Parts: sequence; C-alpha cells; structure tokens
Amino acid sequence: MHEGKLCNKKPIDTEEELRALLNDTGGRTYYEEMKELDVDTELLWGTVKKTIKSRIKTWLEICAHCGMCADSCFLYLIDNRDPKQVPAYKIQSTLGEIVKRKGKVDNRFMLMAMETAWSKCTCCNRCGLYCPHGIDMGVMFGNLRALLYQQGFVPWEMKIGAGMHRVYRAQMDVTDEEFVETFEWMVEEYEEDYIGLEVPVDVEGADIFYTVNAREVKHYPEDLAEAAILFNIAGENWTVASKGWEQTSLAMFAGDGEACKMQVESVYAAMERLKPKRMVGTECGHAHRATVIEGPYWAGRRDGKPPVECIHYVEWLAEALREGKIKIDPTKRIKRPVTVQDSCNYIRNHGLKEITREIISYIVEPGYFIDMTPNKEHNYCCGGGGGFNGIGLYRPQRNRALITKRDQILNTGAELVLAPCHNCWDAIRDLEEEYEIGIEWSFLKPLIISMAVIPDHMKPEE
Amino acid sequence: MYEFFTGYMFWISISICLVGMLVRVVLYFKGLDWRLDRVAYKAYPLHGLKGGLRSVIYWLIPFGTHGWRKQPVMTLLFFGFHTGAVLVPLFLIGHNLFLEEKIGFSLFTMNQLTADILTWLVVASALLLALRRIALPEVRILTTAYDYFILFISTAPFVTGLIARYEVGNYSFWLLIHIICGEALLIAIPFTKLSHIVLFFASRIQLGMDYAIKRGGFKGKGVAW
Repeated sequence: MHEGKLCNKKPIDTEEELRALLNDTGGRTYYEEMKELDVDTELLWGTVKKTIKSRIKTWLEICAHCGMCADSCFLYLIDNRDPKQVPAYKIQSTLGEIVKRKGKVDNRFMLMAMETAWSKCTCCNRCGLYCPHGIDMGVMFGNLRALLYQQGFVPWEMKIGAGMHRVYRAQMDVTDEEFVETFEWMVEEYEEDYIGLEVPVDVEGADIFYTVNAREVKHYPEDLAEAAILFNIAGENWTVASKGWEQTSLAMFAGDGEACKMQVESVYAAMERLKPKRMVGTECGHAHRATVIEGPYWAGRRDGKPPVECIHYVEWLAEALREGKIKIDPTKRIKRPVTVQDSCNYIRNHGLKEITREIISYIVEPGYFIDMTPNKEHNYCCGGGGGFNGIGLYRPQRNRALITKRDQILNTGAELVLAPCHNCWDAIRDLEEEYEIGIEWSFLKPLIISMAVIPDHMKPEE
Repeated sequence: MYEFFTGYMFWISISICLVGMLVRVVLYFKGLDWRLDRVAYKAYPLHGLKGGLRSVIYWLIPFGTHGWRKQPVMTLLFFGFHTGAVLVPLFLIGHNLFLEEKIGFSLFTMNQLTADILTWLVVASALLLALRRIALPEVRILTTAYDYFILFISTAPFVTGLIARYEVGNYSFWLLIHIICGEALLIAIPFTKLSHIVLFFASRIQLGMDYAIKRGGFKGKGVAW
C-alpha cells in the first residue's frame, strides 16, 4: 500500500516527525504525496462498521432529500446557492457514499471528501436546527473527518495540530515550562500597575482552576496577564496547572479521536490532582467544546461531565459582575454601537446565549447594543470555525466565507464587535483585514479591565 | 380477489407494518451508543426525555420552529400532505366501518367533507412537492428516483381512494386497486424511508435529548427550535 514519507496514515507522535512536517513549507510535498496515497478500504469499512451505528445510519437513511437544510448553511448562501453546498448533498456525497460503497472508494474520492469536510463545513451544527428529522450534519462531518484522518487525508495544518497535542498536550509547541514561565513573566510585566498581582501555580483546592488556549501563550501573552488581573480584582482564589493547562483541541478539528482523548485526559488529570472547586476556561469556543462538552465522552465518563464543574469564561464573568466581585465604573460603560458574536461552540452547542447578554447589560450603556440577525443559537458561524481559519489550502474559500459575518456586522451598524472566542476573534480580525469595513473587535477581558473599578489595595502608590 | 386482499392480505400487511415499525424503533433506541453518540442518555433519563418531547412537539406545530418559519411554502406543503396522510387513513368512516366489521373495533371518525378536503390536500401537496423537486436546484440535486417512488407509493392510495369515492369508472375495480395500493404502502413502511413515520419521532427525540443533556439543556431556557 503506497504511503508518503510525510503524508501517510500514521499520526504524528514525536517531535522529529513534527519538525519534518513543519519544515515542509505550506505542506507542498505533503499534498503532492497525498495524490498518490492509497486508501485502505478494509480499514475504512471496518471503522465505518464500528462507528456508524444507529443514529447516523438512520440519519443517512431517512433524509427526505427535502433541501430544507440548504438555507441554513452560510457556505451555501455565500457560494451563490451552489447546490453542491447543500448540507445534505455534502454529507450524502461523502459519508453517505462511503457507507453505500462499503468503504470501496479511491484516492480521488478521498481528496474530494477532504475538501468537502474541511472547506465546505465548519461543523457549526446550524443545519441540525433546520432539519425536520433532526439530522445534524455537523455531527456527521465529525465522523467523516475521523475516517479521513485515519486514512491520512487531512489538511497539513490539521495533521500538525493533532500531532502537537500528541507531543506537547497543547495545540502549539509550547512546553509546560514555557507556559508557566510566560504566565509568570506577563504577570511581572503588569505587577507595578496592579499591586499584588500574581499567578498561583499548582495550588490545591483552589476555587478556580484556570485553563487557557496555547495561542495565548505563544501569540497573545497579554491575555494571560488580563486573566490574572481580573481574577485578582474579583478576589478569587485561583490557580493554573503546570501540567494539563491547555483547554483547546485541534485534534477535534482534525478528527483524531485518540489525540482528543490524550489531550482532555491531561486536563482532567490536573483537576484530579489539584482538586479545584471549578474550572474556568478562557474566552475560546472550541476549547470549551473540547474540554467541557465533548471531552467527558472521549474520556469515557458515563455522566457526560468533567471531573469538576467547568464553566466558560463568560459564565464566570457574568457571575463576577452580577455578584459585584468586579464593579464597572458607570462612566466607562461602552457608549458606541456594539454587537456580539455568538460562538457556535458554546452558544448553539452549550446554551449560553443569555449569559453574554447579561454581561452586555452591565458593560454597555442602554441603547448601544445591537444584536446581529440571526443571533443566539441561530447565529451564523464566524466563517473560520472547525479549523477553517488555519488551513492554508482553503484560504480563498475561507476568505469568501467571511462575507456572511461581514454583512451581518455591517447590518448592525456596530463599530465594535465583542468576540469572546478565539476562532471568532481571528475570523473577525481577518475579515477586517480582507474587507476593511472599519470595525474594532475585542475579547471581553481587556474591555472589562478598562471599565472595572480597581480595588484600592491593587492601586499603585502615587 | 377482493376477499383475498381484504382478508389475508389485510392481516399480513397490517402486521408487517406494525411489527416492522416496532422493530425499527426498538432497534433504533437499542442501537444508540452513549459513547459513540457522545450523549449520556441513561445518566439523565427524565431530563433527556423532556428535551426529546420538546423537540418533537415544536416540529409538529406548523410554523412552530425557525425552520418552518424560514420556508413557509414548504411548511404548507408539508403539513398539507402529512395532515391528510396521517388522519384520513385512520379516521375515514369507510375504513372504520371495515375495521368494525373485521375486528369489532373502530376509531373516532371524521365527516366525509373533512375527509374529502384532506385527501385532496394530500394529492395536491404531493403534486407540488414533486414539482418542487424539479424546480428548485437545491432539492433537485438531492432527488433520486427512489424519492419519487416514495412519493408515488404514499400518494397512490389517496388518488385511487378519490377515484373510487367519486365512482369514476368501475367502482369495484378502483376500490380493489385502492386496497392493493394501501397494503403495498403498509408493507413498504418498515423497509423504506417511509419508516420515518416512526423514526421521525425517534430521531427528533434523540436530537432533543442531545441538546437537553449535553448541548446546553442544563444551562438556560433550552434551545429555540
């Protein structure tokens, strides 16, 4: 069976393999090799039989081919209503065909399926809300991605991302030491401005165990300091873990179930070790989905819950504002048109729609908040979800996909977009770069810091 | 011939249909796998069931969901077709007289005018649903011969029923064809997409449980279907 040196069915398990793949700029050799990659049809059919059971078999069978899902998909709408972008067509022509042909598909088919799985679906699950039968095509695309990953048909960046989790237990090459050092360094940078600022590491029995996105450590370290500042303002008893600190999972986007399990178990191990009362994750959508919503199942937890109660950053923030742990200076409330991006991963898929609006009620002057249309659990994906943001091969498609969000934002007339999700934040940044509509976008942390009343004991002496 | 189709075949077809539907539902729920589906079905049975029923009820109400409201024409065709397709076979006076004679039991019956209107609605909606499949590119790309077959087999008993009811041509002949079409439909239900008669409920309950148990059902007011 023909396999490439870089593009093959073997997951990345060592730093050397990771380096080799990273050195192949843009995945040029990787994608060349993929054109010759053979499909192990027996393995494929074997996996289908093991994983495509009652729920998905029924979905594929009873789909009435009514096309009601078409309009629900922003990629269909943005692609001039191309019928090939109808969710039911996309899944029937890929996963449906694999099942129908009992896994007997070839390289060409798999290349088409890969393009469909990663550039024509962001797994936002919106279509599932519009199907009378309750067929959730986003869920099925997760299964399709897993089948493709197992066969080596996965975008270069996704293979690397999954490999990062396998090697570093983080989505980027950030070691445990680097995480702690970066957090401590960032806190030092701010400790003159906020007296007593510190980052407690590995404290047992804390009220809050804070987990982050490795991107923050690598690219936006000030986010770590901002988290520390807000926990300190709120007077929280919090900690981070020197191991098991990464909440995200590119493995989930890649379809690497084994790496998903490894990653989330590292976070759960930290919970077991430190025994915190709760875990609070950073402003990230997919990280929340991976660790809090899907993670318990990857880890085989029958109650579907993580070892300790886990909440999203917006839940903690709403609570801190509600209980007065963080007080907003009324004169600093936002007094310009502002809207909010509802992240698919914790709004549609975890019901937190009212929480973000509660935060807005504390920080935005009445009359200045304008909701997008549609919104809440019916909101459209930012355009970059499910790994779409990170895949160079599909950048033109991703850029076109941003138009939906661009127009939604433009229709609100907002100058500022609250984006409490890394993926959404990145997509909105990119849409501003690409289309220059003159908006600002922000996580909540820096905005809250700019509006919060700093307790006297944290104020530097004049 | 008439005796055969109202005798043995009646029993055979109705048994295949009922047992078949039961088997499909049992197999569906037995086949659900908490780990593969990533839904802790058994951990929260009542909460899950509540979410499941909510998901069914909203979708049974015309214009009750965002999906129905988004596509008003399809909603009218859908309910136009399904209301008659479900109610007329069960509550038609002729069917119930037959049942009474056969098993000494009958259901509530609807008056003839209601039955006529609903049956015409089924036929007209089916025709428009077929045209919709041809006219709309997003539906055409999904449509296969099998979809037309399903539409044909589920509409045939209504068309033939109307012909017999208005006594166009030979009444006995069309009544017999109507009975054969009806029985063919009953037999097809468990083995084809028509199994959605029960699997619609199963699948909707599953997704409702998924949202209730895992995707935010413990967090807020529940998903706005």
